[in-house]
Amino acid sequence: MTTETPDRQTLDSGVRIVWGVGSLVGAVVLAGIAGAVGFATVERILRPAGVTFLVAAVLGVVYTLARYRAWWYAVEADSLHLSRGVLTYVHTVVPFVRVQHVDVSRGPLERALGLSSVVVYTAGSRGADVTIPGLTPERADRLQQRLKRLAIAAEGEDAV
Amino acid sequence: MPSKLDPLSVPYRVGVSLSRFGWLLVVGTVSAGTQRLPLLVGLFGVVLLATLAYQVAYVRRFSYELTADTFDVYSGVFSRRSREIPYHRIQNVDVTRNVVQRALGIAELAIETAGGGETEATLQYLDADTADELRAALSRRKRGETEDGATEQTAREREALFSITTRELLLLGVVGLDLRLLSFVAVTLPVVLPSVSEATPLFDLFRVAPFLLAGLAVLALAASMVQAVVSYYGFELHREGDELGYRRGLAKEYSGTIPLDKVQSVVLTENMLARRLGYASVAIETAGYSPSGDSAGSQSAVPLAERDHAYALAQEVEAFGDPTFDRPPKRARTRYAVRYALAVLVVTGVATAAVRLVEFTSPVPTATLLAGLVLVPVAAHLRWANLGYAVEEDHFVARAGFWSRRTQVVPFYRTQTIAEQATIFQRRRDLASVVVDTAGTHGWSAPSAPDIDARRASDLRETLEARLQAALRARRDTVESAVQRIDSDTSGEVDSDTPDDRGGHDHGDERPPE
Repeated sequence: MTTETPDRQTLDSGVRIVWGVGSLVGAVVLAGIAGAVGFATVERILRPAGVTFLVAAVLGVVYTLARYRAWWYAVEADSLHLSRGVLTYVHTVVPFVRVQHVDVSRGPLERALGLSSVVVYTAGSRGADVTIPGLTPERADRLQQRLKRLAIAAEGEDAV
Repeated sequence: MPSKLDPLSVPYRVGVSLSRFGWLLVVGTVSAGTQRLPLLVGLFGVVLLATLAYQVAYVRRFSYELTADTFDVYSGVFSRRSREIPYHRIQNVDVTRNVVQRALGIAELAIETAGGGETEATLQYLDADTADELRAALSRRKRGETEDGATEQTAREREALFSITTRELLLLGVVGLDLRLLSFVAVTLPVVLPSVSEATPLFDLFRVAPFLLAGLAVLALAASMVQAVVSYYGFELHREGDELGYRRGLAKEYSGTIPLDKVQSVVLTENMLARRLGYASVAIETAGYSPSGDSAGSQSAVPLAERDHAYALAQEVEAFGDPTFDRPPKRARTRYAVRYALAVLVVTGVATAAVRLVEFTSPVPTATLLAGLVLVPVAAHLRWANLGYAVEEDHFVARAGFWSRRTQVVPFYRTQTIAEQATIFQRRRDLASVVVDTAGTHGWSAPSAPDIDARRASDLRETLEARLQAALRARRDTVESAVQRIDSDTSGEVDSDTPDDRGGHDHGDERPPE
């Protein structure tokens, strides 16, 4: 196996929309709760709901952008590296020998935006699967094939 | 030629399923009164017949077979299922017998593999001797021996490793007491009791409290001792080739095998009391289900042994040497102090709010809870002092916990994923944690080196990754040389020196030597 240079891959920028929509939905839910609470306590809905929505939405957008900037993955010589996280930074190493199978999954929003996720499963018992979101379908398929080949080449003869 | 279950399984299985419906019957009788008794008897008869018919069919249609490479199980009354379990994928094999089963002379045999959380195959029930023989046969097949030819190739001397003494058994009861529960009771009683005795002046509970507490402690101790005796009576552990075997239990008897080449991690547990007394327990984690599928917490391989002995036994399974632990830097301790102080403040706040809400006049102002702040530095120090990690020649060792100190030993070879993580609070102090995931299935937290210096965490992550690859290469080399040896052996005889092809069995099946 040739030693590859550990090149950091970033996600497709479209994933920001997926995440952004997610946090906007969260903001709407929060606004709903705030509105209900506002109605119950001071009989006002719009003010608390609006303020909550604005704050949550701004925070959500900022978080989404930071999350996108923080995310990278690298297919190295022996293992897959993933690094992500805004508040809690996590760097995960998945050795190819330990890969059980690799899925490509596409949620409804991802499909609408032409994106895919690659999910890598190991036999581990805590956090056994890692997901790489925000890949174009071709890129996801390529990554899946590549990981599959690498996992086979690594001869996971005794994966557990 | 497939084998069948023991015919005595039928009455036992009928009994079990009827006892499950028993409550329905009781409810029915009570609610229906006496007029409809004939109807009830009739209904019961139908249920009994249906159960009997189903269980007869189940037992008759259940069969198993030891083939050349797999253990096959055919089961199912309405929908048939045939399951083939490759021998080299088998993890633990356990035989259990409860009191009734022992009277009937039958036993349950369970086979675990790494897939899923569930038992792969359960044979309910076999003749007790057949069960033991089947387990031995499965062990032989797993080692790659065949039934007819070279049965006695590897000298399978049975080496006794440990058997529990009465003293240890009783100590297990003492040590098994949940100290946290007792201390919680000890703290809450004086706070709660005065107000209760105010409300009911009949008893001066405040004066009774010490006795109450003592009585409770004695009761808990007795219960814990009985539990220890019942589940670990006659515990013994032995080594047979590359497997460990255990046997234990008073009323319900457990016995089983733990394959040494499938061990994911070894965990030494010493709670505060055990540390004082110089005792420790050892648990062996495999990727199958827990070795003795009991309630969590009693799944130890060795429930309690003198510390040195426990370490020696753990070394027998994984030779991890004598680790010198690295502690997190002192600034981690500050972090715990802050965390505990916040917890005390929150508890005080909640208590105050609760007291206000229910208009309950507590005898002492809730603010006295703030006295807990005094304990914060002590608690933080104890947590910090018990943390540690060590990178040994072949193992990663992590230790944590004051109340119950756990030392987890993971061979590099068993690493699944490695994660380096840092929350914002950790980054503020330039700290990070490294978590090593294995395929073990216990509910314990993964072995980790928490709150170590951020740069060292990165180094540790890289080291662990490199060590895994090195272990894999080493394993591959021994396997290849073993395969070559077999290849050069044209007569086709199986090589007889087993020690260095521990992994060879696993590998050989997937890439048969051509």
